[in-house]
Amino acid sequence: MGIEIKNLQAAYEDRIIIPDASLVIPKGKVTMLIGPNGCGKSTLLKSIARTIPAKRGSIYLHGEDIRRMPPKSLAKKMAVLPQSPLVPEGIQVKELVAYGRFPYQKPLSGLKRADHEIIRWAMEKTGVLELEERRVEELSGGQRQRVWISLALAQKTGVLLLDEPTTYLDMAHQLEILELLRKLNHEEKTTIVMVIHELNHASKFADHIIGMKQGHILFEGTPKEVIHVENLRKLYEIEAVLMENKDKGYPICMDYSLICE
Amino acid sequence: MKEKKYGFRAAVCLSLLLTVVLIALMVGSYHISPFQIVQTLLGSGSKLQNFTVFQIRLPRIVLAVIVASALGVSGGILQGITRNPLAEPGMIGINAGAALFVVLWISAGTTDYYSTLPVLTILGMPLLAMTGSLLSVGLIYLLSSKSGIRPVRFILTGIGVNGGILAVISFYQLSMSKGDYNQVLTWTNGSLWGSNWNYILLTAPLVILLIGAVLFRSKNLDVLALGDELAAGVGLSVPKERLLFLLLATFLAALATSVAGSIAFLGLLGPQIAKRLTGPVHGKMLPMAALISSILLVGADVIAKNLFSPLEIPVGIVVSIVGVPYFIYLMIKER
Repeated sequence: MGIEIKNLQAAYEDRIIIPDASLVIPKGKVTMLIGPNGCGKSTLLKSIARTIPAKRGSIYLHGEDIRRMPPKSLAKKMAVLPQSPLVPEGIQVKELVAYGRFPYQKPLSGLKRADHEIIRWAMEKTGVLELEERRVEELSGGQRQRVWISLALAQKTGVLLLDEPTTYLDMAHQLEILELLRKLNHEEKTTIVMVIHELNHASKFADHIIGMKQGHILFEGTPKEVIHVENLRKLYEIEAVLMENKDKGYPICMDYSLICE
Repeated sequence: MKEKKYGFRAAVCLSLLLTVVLIALMVGSYHISPFQIVQTLLGSGSKLQNFTVFQIRLPRIVLAVIVASALGVSGGILQGITRNPLAEPGMIGINAGAALFVVLWISAGTTDYYSTLPVLTILGMPLLAMTGSLLSVGLIYLLSSKSGIRPVRFILTGIGVNGGILAVISFYQLSMSKGDYNQVLTWTNGSLWGSNWNYILLTAPLVILLIGAVLFRSKNLDVLALGDELAAGVGLSVPKERLLFLLLATFLAALATSVAGSIAFLGLLGPQIAKRLTGPVHGKMLPMAALISSILLVGADVIAKNLFSPLEIPVGIVVSIVGVPYFIYLMIKER
């Protein structure tokens, strides 16, 4: 079932970004949205996250219309990690991760024992437990990203949405984050949907790729099915040289050049 | 912030407030010793002492605490929802809106301000001030929001509206009699002159109720600090909460302004100092902001009352004298 999008029209104020999109994001898989800048991939993610209200059409999470769900119930089923969340001044790692328990809390109640256990588990899972007393401002980009993922994990959701989680990170840290997300997908069966820029990351780590251009869905499928020269020509207007990974068979983009007429 | 450390700091600030209150009870044109103060409070003071303490000084101090708490919490909320340490009710038109309505009303011809104020005035003032604040916030809201409040736009629009309202007030002042003019001046600068128990009976329950409502939802303010997208992601209805907190902050500032005029900077200083003492969690920071603002206002009022005695300068001016340097310091520090 996963996430089902039917005739979605998404817009910022009056500027329509996605005119009409319908697709299904498979449950328990890693889905990556790719496409050139301004193609609407972030907008699609934000529509699923309800950050941008859909102009028309509907989005169903496991068969339930997300617009009809109270915000906190939705937050128990779907966690969102935006591209640049804000770090409150002076906050410690464990305090920040504790916000993941917000959907489960009543106005005056503090964190219960079970909450503390989940927060600890989330920090352990992302490898930031030894940083729990540190101030988030002092952390490196990669550590900080893991803290944010830890917050999302503490929400204990079946679905995790991420908007360009690897941007601003160096190569090793990009890999580290992607490996971490894949591990979560395998161990917790979390459905992961993310926007990503790096084509090779997408074909290496995604189970399902959605290619978008000018607000339309150009292709979707497994990396093997959809990452080929013809599709890349249409998507990025580049001439790509592809190779196949020997062990796992996913395509690798070796070289590329702009198409010159 | 560890619980113990917070408790200790809160205790220190509370004793500081009690000290300032004691000084405020002692000092004045008629000096009373600390021992005599305690005696009077316990009910065995002389007639003169009783009158000075219970009818003149104590109402003024209690009102100062109420007003300061309201402004401190209001400023703390505004800084939270706009994510801007410079936001405060005096700067974004909330106080000015309240002042404008009172000024219009004074200039429309009430003449009772030197005698005892009639009941209608005492009841009418807060209502009037509240209406003025709400209208000015409504105007700022309309001008700055397309879909929900954009923090930076909101502040910039607020500063603009604030300037406009102050200009209108000045315009009215030009065509006023001297008595009216002085009254308005006290109002626009903020003063605790003329405090009495009626004001307290009217404002105290409302301020306590509003602060209670704020503290009850304070966790939502904390979540708002994560940015709109993540706040929505953990299940907060961001536009709804922001509007609600804006209204609460407006009511608090309007209540304060309705009895003490427009005291600038207090809503900026209190929360900012409190934040350094308690950290960013609003459930702890806001009560501390109320405490710090109270210390500042009671202290400033002692100075305002006694520095040029028997002349009294508006307490708002004293707060500004302390506030401006701190404000500049903040601006430099924030780069």
